[in-house]
Amino acid sequence: MGEKKIKKAKPSAKKTLARMYKYKGFYVMFLPVLVFAIIFFYAPMFGIRYAFTNYNGIKAPDIVWFENFKRMFSMKNFWGAFWNTIQISVIKLLLTTAFAVIVSILLNEIASLLFKKVVQTIIYLPHFMSWVVTASIFSLILSPSSSGLVNSFLVKFGIVDSGSMIYFLGSTKWWRPAYYVINLWKETGWQTVIFMATLAGINTDLYEAAAIDGAGRWGKMRYITFPQLANTILTVIILNLAKVMNLFESAFVLQNDATLSVSNVLETYIYYQSFNSGGIPNYGYTTAVGLFKSMVGMVLVLVCNQWSKKVRDGRGIV
Amino acid sequence: MKKKVLSLLMAAIMVASLAGCGNDSNSGGGSNNGGGSNNGGGTNNESGSNNGGAENGGSDAAEIVKPEKITIMVDGTVFTQENGRDAFEAKLEELLGIEIEIIQPDHTGYYDVVGQTIAGGDWPDVVILSSNYLSSYGSEGVLWDMSAAWEASDLKARQEAYNGASVVESMYIDGALYGMPATHGNGCVTYVKQAWLDAAGITTLPTNFDEYYDMLLKVKEAKGVDYVLAAAGFLNAEAPYINYLSEFYQDAWPAFYQKADGTWVDGFEEQAMKDAMARLAQGVADGIIDPETNTYGTGDVRNKYYDDSLGVFTYWAGTWASNLKNNLNNNGIDSELVALPPLKEIVPPLASGPAYIDRVSPAWCITTQCANPEGVFKYFIEAMQDGGDVQFLWTYGVEGVHWSTAEETLYADTEKPKVYAAGEFHMLDNLESPGSQYTKAHIDPMLALTALAGDPRETTVAPEALAAQQLFNANSVGAFVVPSTAEMNQYNGDLMTEKQSLVARVALGQMTVEEAYKEYEDNGYAEMSKLIVDSLNAQ
Repeated sequence: MGEKKIKKAKPSAKKTLARMYKYKGFYVMFLPVLVFAIIFFYAPMFGIRYAFTNYNGIKAPDIVWFENFKRMFSMKNFWGAFWNTIQISVIKLLLTTAFAVIVSILLNEIASLLFKKVVQTIIYLPHFMSWVVTASIFSLILSPSSSGLVNSFLVKFGIVDSGSMIYFLGSTKWWRPAYYVINLWKETGWQTVIFMATLAGINTDLYEAAAIDGAGRWGKMRYITFPQLANTILTVIILNLAKVMNLFESAFVLQNDATLSVSNVLETYIYYQSFNSGGIPNYGYTTAVGLFKSMVGMVLVLVCNQWSKKVRDGRGIV
Repeated sequence: MKKKVLSLLMAAIMVASLAGCGNDSNSGGGSNNGGGSNNGGGTNNESGSNNGGAENGGSDAAEIVKPEKITIMVDGTVFTQENGRDAFEAKLEELLGIEIEIIQPDHTGYYDVVGQTIAGGDWPDVVILSSNYLSSYGSEGVLWDMSAAWEASDLKARQEAYNGASVVESMYIDGALYGMPATHGNGCVTYVKQAWLDAAGITTLPTNFDEYYDMLLKVKEAKGVDYVLAAAGFLNAEAPYINYLSEFYQDAWPAFYQKADGTWVDGFEEQAMKDAMARLAQGVADGIIDPETNTYGTGDVRNKYYDDSLGVFTYWAGTWASNLKNNLNNNGIDSELVALPPLKEIVPPLASGPAYIDRVSPAWCITTQCANPEGVFKYFIEAMQDGGDVQFLWTYGVEGVHWSTAEETLYADTEKPKVYAAGEFHMLDNLESPGSQYTKAHIDPMLALTALAGDPRETTVAPEALAAQQLFNANSVGAFVVPSTAEMNQYNGDLMTEKQSLVARVALGQMTVEEAYKEYEDNGYAEMSKLIVDSLNAQ
């Protein structure tokens, strides 16, 4: 019924123009944004054509159609980077969201407003630290030497010998766990913002009613807080799922030669293709990889949009 | 009558000589110089004779037209704006008699800007390029082949007289010379702390790897440290790849090189490289090499060396010997360092005996869009190493801005004031980083390819820096430039990344050498390597 009404109300082109004229002030205000978007978002997209060429930035591009894509799909390093990107991003997203929810609920239970604000501020702060600084700090903390904090503890408590300290950031076994922990340290606080806002919006009458019904703290959490948060959790996951292909800085500053097999992601793969060739790279190939990454990202956005419509009463993310 | 004829003759001679003077002054001659007591007349005369053009009298010289303006693109190795570039530019224009337009992007993003400029199609006349780009841009027709100009120039003779010509010869790529180095590339020597040697009771320096390794084990035990040495990466992505761990790499070369018979090979696939990887793994396992070499940058290693966590450090010769010493002193640590001559096993490609590697120097290139490349070569590139005023300017900068001979006291308010008498040459305080003196301009006096008349380097260079540099210069072999091919550009990014990964994983004990080479084969990297080698051999 509602849809029919909307269809009937669809304005004609003439009416649209009339409305635009009526609200011309808003359109004029919007104009700079539109120009900005065209220049910086759409005009560079003409560069996509290089994906179908061999191009070194000097001679005119040599059209090779799908050769770069064929080469890309035949490269093991490419597929390694692709799956690393998916795995690292998704696990990181799930872990960070789960921790943010737990921390938010715990913070919500704190009665002292002052203490709550202090804790919130402290856990927000790492978010504002650059990844380069973060990597330096954790390189020191995780260093496999007597100056490394974690290894010193492990040696002190007899978990490892002083001669076999764990090189967390240089080991294919330990790199990803270390990466996730560092991400949790840096991003959990920031992610709690949205959950704390949701928690603040929960009607306190519900808790009072539950208390009258004999619900304890755990019962209130289980039957009121979690269900109220569920929609937000799902929304946060869906919104972030669309961005999983965009992973560069955190992986780049923490990865190293020994861990590339588990840490090389698509954007760092493109970087190494460009700067490790010892000469002028084939920008056509790196554009092809970038285009593929964007296509996968676009598909994820569309899928997430559909999911979003289902869980948010028809409201998509695009 | 005789008097009239004589006076006419004299007038004619004067006119002719004035015309000659005009040419001189335009090309960097003496009248403009006035460069202070250190650049006296002799220097000016040299400069004039080298750059004069017309006075050489040859027909070639007559054909070469002096450019009115030259546009140059430079990195941070030339004085930046904050470091008195305007004064440098003005003095250079004065000496050359040519308008110079300097384009100087930020040093860290220099090659991005060069790439964008080349892609944009509006190229400068002259551009500084590292060896990687020299080969690529040369093969793509961006750079002018200056081999004929150099072969016929006075510059070659001056460089030959100073043992600098071999550096230029090593930059030939398939018979073409796309750039002119201003200095040696320089390289690394191994510095051992004397205090560590004393602690271990070592009195004789090692000459081979067994002795060297024995020394490392002894100092580790004597000092009770976690590790003895570290480097910024087990394998660098850029040539000369191995210079921070040359004792462990020895005769191994992890990339492409040309054998004596002219064929190209991938050194990574040779037994020497496998042996080198095994040595690295042993070094890490024995607690000699810090495993964090895998993640360290050069600054991290320097700091470890400065705080006495490490006792052996393979690092740049020359000025860095002095920097290491000063920083150790500042930390209150015994700063006496011993620079080791190369071990007998360190024999890199093209060397006939033990040698460190002299990396390929960045080069001054002329683009093919330059309207008058011969003129730019003669009046700009060649003048840079004229042995006189222009070279002095490129080596020490501008009087009163970067150096002085005035009587003065620098750092008077500090614990270590520096007092200079009138006429005593000294570098001035750094404009960008007050508290430290300039050491050079673009040309490092210790790495110059031609002699500089009246060179004051004995007074400006610290003795330990000079000693380390002389040790290196006497025990080094020039690196070489690998030609660029389509296959190289296509596959070498993947290949080099994989090589670095395999070397690091073997060194850290995550896989054996055999497993590394099996993975290399199974994942198609041997095939990529073969494609590149074939393309090099097909040239």
